[in-house]
Amino acid sequence: MNTTNPTQTATTDESNHTDTVTETLVAEDLIEEVSIDGMCGVY
Amino acid sequence: MMLDLMLDEPWTLSPPVALRPEPFGALAYHFGNRKLTFLKRPELVTVVRSLAGHVDVRSALTDAGIPDAQHPAYLEALRGLAATDMIRPRHQGSREPTR
Repeated sequence: MNTTNPTQTATTDESNHTDTVTETLVAEDLIEEVSIDGMCGVY
Repeated sequence: MMLDLMLDEPWTLSPPVALRPEPFGALAYHFGNRKLTFLKRPELVTVVRSLAGHVDVRSALTDAGIPDAQHPAYLEALRGLAATDMIRPRHQGSREPTR
């Protein structure tokens, strides 16, 4: 169900090397509405 | 912009909504309108549960450890929850915030 889009950003200079992973989220990664209309006949 | 306004407003989980913990986050069910929504991140569940204890949405996001860069996505998700009355604006004085 996880549909995140990780974006990796690498920053390098002569004295320091840093890898930073930034996770890019959209609302659809966080919530999902489910319709239960019509499910009353399922069970 | 509505999202920005929401950021500085007090919100809360709606009284007719129940949250059921799930491995991916939680299920939110509204007993009034019978809407069902998956909260697909535990961090979002933390934010939603803690809204009532914060003076605004921004502090709830910050306390939950949500990076600033992700605030827009969380606000959009919260706006989606507001659209189905899963969360609602909290009137001042309805509950004392913790901070």
